Amino acid sequence: MKHHTDIVNRLLREKLERETQAKTRRHFIKSCAQGMGGLALSSIFMGCDPLQKPKAIAQNSFTERDLNPLATLAPHYGPKVKSVIYLHMAGAPSQLEMFDYKPQLQKYHGQDCPQSLLEGKKFAFIKGTPKLMGPQAEFKQEGESGNWVSNFLPHFKKVVDEVAFLKAVHTDQFNHGPAQLFMHTGSPRLGRPSIGAWATYGLGSENQNLPGFVVLTSGGNTPDAGKSVWGSGFLPSVYQGVQCRSKGDPVLYIDDPDGISRNLKKSTIDAINKINKEEYAKYADPEILARINQYEMAYRMQIAVPEVMNINNEPEQIKQMYGVEPGKESFANNCLLARKLVEDGVRFVQLFDWGWDTHGNVREGSIDLGLRNKCREIDRPMTALIMDLKQRGLLEDTLIVWGGEFGRTPMQENRGNKEMAYKGRDHHGDAFTMWMAGGGIKKGASHGATDDIGFSGIEGRVSVHDVHATILHLLGFNHEEFTFDFQGRPFRLTDVEGEIIKEILA
Amino acid sequence: MEMMQQLLGRLHPLIVHLPIGFIILALLLQWYDRKANDWSKIISLVYFWAGISAVMACISGYLQYQSEGYSYDSVKWHLWSGIITAIFCFAMHLKLVPKKGANFLVEAPISILSVVAFILISFTGHQGGNITHGEEYLVEPLPNAVKSMLGYEVIEEKELALTEENWEKALVYEEVIQPILSSKCVSCHNPKKDKGGLLLHSKEGILKGGESGDVLASHSEESELFARMVLPMKDDDHMPPEGKKQPTKEEIKLIAAWMDAGHPFEGTVKESGLKKDLFTSFFPSKSYKGHPEMEVLEASQDSIQSIEKFGIYVDPISESTHFLSVSCINKPDFKDEDFEKLIPIRQQIAQLDLGGTQVTDAIFEKLVQLPNLSTLKLDNTSLTGNGIVALKNLEHLHIINLSGSSFDQPTDIFNSFKTLEKVYLFETKVDKNGPKSLKDGQIVLDYGGYDLPPIPSDSIIY
Repeated sequence: MKHHTDIVNRLLREKLERETQAKTRRHFIKSCAQGMGGLALSSIFMGCDPLQKPKAIAQNSFTERDLNPLATLAPHYGPKVKSVIYLHMAGAPSQLEMFDYKPQLQKYHGQDCPQSLLEGKKFAFIKGTPKLMGPQAEFKQEGESGNWVSNFLPHFKKVVDEVAFLKAVHTDQFNHGPAQLFMHTGSPRLGRPSIGAWATYGLGSENQNLPGFVVLTSGGNTPDAGKSVWGSGFLPSVYQGVQCRSKGDPVLYIDDPDGISRNLKKSTIDAINKINKEEYAKYADPEILARINQYEMAYRMQIAVPEVMNINNEPEQIKQMYGVEPGKESFANNCLLARKLVEDGVRFVQLFDWGWDTHGNVREGSIDLGLRNKCREIDRPMTALIMDLKQRGLLEDTLIVWGGEFGRTPMQENRGNKEMAYKGRDHHGDAFTMWMAGGGIKKGASHGATDDIGFSGIEGRVSVHDVHATILHLLGFNHEEFTFDFQGRPFRLTDVEGEIIKEILA
Repeated sequence: MEMMQQLLGRLHPLIVHLPIGFIILALLLQWYDRKANDWSKIISLVYFWAGISAVMACISGYLQYQSEGYSYDSVKWHLWSGIITAIFCFAMHLKLVPKKGANFLVEAPISILSVVAFILISFTGHQGGNITHGEEYLVEPLPNAVKSMLGYEVIEEKELALTEENWEKALVYEEVIQPILSSKCVSCHNPKKDKGGLLLHSKEGILKGGESGDVLASHSEESELFARMVLPMKDDDHMPPEGKKQPTKEEIKLIAAWMDAGHPFEGTVKESGLKKDLFTSFFPSKSYKGHPEMEVLEASQDSIQSIEKFGIYVDPISESTHFLSVSCINKPDFKDEDFEKLIPIRQQIAQLDLGGTQVTDAIFEKLVQLPNLSTLKLDNTSLTGNGIVALKNLEHLHIINLSGSSFDQPTDIFNSFKTLEKVYLFETKVDKNGPKSLKDGQIVLDYGGYDLPPIPSDSIIY
């Protein structure tokens, strides 16, 4: 008996110690904050602002949004699309072999690149004076729009009239990591929320059993910038992308362990959440709310996720159209999954396909061989995705964005100032091609043009911020008013820039 | 107590109408009685009531001033003129039927006093209105010319509003160029705040230029006004400064074209010779917006909440409309009879997603109750479409999605639908080789079934 009281006493003492430990730090900040200098501190430590009592404590209840952060909200003005599927070719595909046809470049093939173009430019690997390299693909004008598509994409040409091209996108980053961050968070540095996080934060998600923002990767690797490209930055972490695997269990440990029934799991989660809610009432850390919601979501996902992530039940004809390879990790599988997810009300589906970094240093990374293989891997699936969404009436509610983090040089790469084993092109941010398709997009449009050799945009140049402004616009947001207060100022996805690209809007 | 104070205070806007009514009544009676002079007693009595109710209005007004946090400065004119009105009413009461020891007003002619009463009540009422509605409430709808005549500052923040039909007739400066300048430049270049000595709110100001000289030129490239707008954002001379609302590419193009055309201040767009493609991006888009063009009353929050509790999503389409989008994505067991739940918001439903639910053909005669239905999704259901023709009377129906349903009706039934644009028929029992469109292309029928047949290059690995 005495033994038990000992244990209880010990536990109580430990609880008390824990609490004081937790409290001292907060009390310190609190007393700081009440002092003169502390007032400045409190705005720096946003998220643990001790002067601002959290809503839950103030009203002794949680708001609807606290408990259901993915509840749907109204956008600023009429949205054109409900969902986004973003196809990112990680490594940066060569626009010069896919969409940006430069016959003049063929004329200059093998000649030294003019010094005037190289002055003041930074390249990742090119040294000295590189030689210009003509297009390694054959181009044809396709469809009624007459937009150029290369023979690397024999299927895609069939849907060319559905898409709108941006021929002169530019970025100021020339390395993969920062450029990918810039493309997905609006800043080349870490810490900003990704587009998908902004979208789910602003609009919530319709299907209560699935995450609002799902990420699928293929190509054997995740993007160089890591998971930050689908992170939530300073937004509550419940808005970050949930990475699902297209091979094996879509989400690790989603199944109940042996001997644990679903009911037992539910009561466990309920108990944990009850404690978490008490913790939140005490410490008001918004991340506790995120945790509560993630537990609940995980429980609901147990049934919904395996169902939506199973492509085996799709009709054979659909599987053939996409070219899926069940059981493998492939871009085709991911495209089909993207359609299924959007069909089930997921707000933002982010696909990353790795392996587009065609420097010419290895066979897989060559412009004429490796790139062609990569093109084949995406050609059928992305074409099928557009067709499949269209026939289901989903394309008018969905925006598809295709692109890399930058483009590639019109010059052949000469790493170490030497001839390389294969034909390759270096990183190039001055001009590259992206395309969009779906609701609100002007079908068959082509905006912007590059100079004769495809080095820089000479007309209709658009920045990464402009692309973001356009995506947000189609989702119904005014990108200038869609903000989140952090560290004492409102933040935007587009920072202080960005202009909607009206030329590609219907 | 505090509650009573606040409540009585809030009755002030109601009570004030009593003295107003009485005084007006008294004035009308006086006018009617101006010759015969028979009704003095009655008019006096009306003024007495006016006085009593004016005192009540004063008390409630004071309570409101105390409990609602108005500053003395903002209410002082209203407060004192109200008190004076109350006293004046009693004075009129005494004047009309003089009592002993109260004949001090006898000398003044009654007509002048009536005018004073009228002025007092108008002035007091107007001051009160200014407190609740703001000082510019009445001025706002006036035309700008009248506004500036009255001494109100006029800064237009009007977006360009041109249409396919009227763009040629628009006045090139007044209706095209000045609205752009007004919305993007005038907040810093107006008579109150003239940065760089430049005024851009009027023709005179633009022609005069600023500290660094003329801003206009006959070629846009030589114009300071244009040059500064196209400088890189980081340049200190860029206008508008970084962080301020920037003109769009289309607006800058228009300004350049206007200058190249000799910056005319008079005449229409047609006379200036500016081309249509400069204006097309300002035309309102005619495409289907997802809801009817008109507006409806807001749905009650209680109805929405009870529907949501049932498991149906009810979403506002956007902040700029009251129309709703309703989705049963989380309610796959939705049945025909559950439709009754939606009746309270039937006016507001513009988009309805019943995809993947248990609805049957019986749903069609219920759907007729949604007069503003614009997009209807019935995909992946077991309905056969029997009775769908009932929907032909819906005046805003644009899209019907039947893909994955057992729809087996002849497609020509859609010919009788007025506004229909698109019908999705993928994986239904309809003949895929039927017409691709109806009514001369107004209605597009999408049978889907797209295919990407294998081609040799599918299997070539490089």
